[in-house]
Amino acid sequence: MSKRKFNKTSKCRFCRMGIVEVDYKDIQNLQKLTTTQGKLFSRKRSGNCAHHQHSVKSSIKRARFMSLLPYVT
Amino acid sequence: MNLRMYEGLFLIDNAYASTEWENVVKHIQDVLQKNGSEILKTEKWGEKKLAYKIKGHKRGTYFLVHFNANNSAITTIRRDFQLSDYVVRSLIVRDDKIEELSQIGLSEVPVEKDTTKMPEIADTVLSESSDVSVKVADKV
Repeated sequence: MSKRKFNKTSKCRFCRMGIVEVDYKDIQNLQKLTTTQGKLFSRKRSGNCAHHQHSVKSSIKRARFMSLLPYVT
Repeated sequence: MNLRMYEGLFLIDNAYASTEWENVVKHIQDVLQKNGSEILKTEKWGEKKLAYKIKGHKRGTYFLVHFNANNSAITTIRRDFQLSDYVVRSLIVRDDKIEELSQIGLSEVPVEKDTTKMPEIADTVLSESSDVSVKVADKV
């Protein structure tokens, strides 16, 4: 039985980078948080903290409105 | 009266962007200035492919403007851009981060840039380093 190791230092990716608010214009980073269909990753899957998951959610929706990211593909 | 920093991203019809770019920029600046706002920084992104069709457009040019405006004027600004022929879609978002930039002295009014990179990053680093020095000074 292999146990999954718990890494103490692992944090949400934006916390590690020291970003306070996620920018909706930063498409390259936001694209990593969506599936190939363009759906948002869950909090569990993305590993984001509550604050940054909220921020990611709103910024992806802004990017979709400006046609920077797709609604569906 | 309540002045705030805003950030507007405008998607511009490619037909106008390629032929009469100066007019488009002037139109956007006119609309903003008519409503009593002060433009801090403008930036042109190149022509891009859209993620989905908007009113039959497959490609478009983006134009990013940082400006200072009265919060009551924002509704009229939004409506003016909706009625505009040049602007296909616009998004105006409050941005408090730029406030630090203007204090540093970046507000040397309309600077046109063609870079796709965000210049904000360097400035935030600057402000952070100044914070550090303040902390150090406190410790000493």
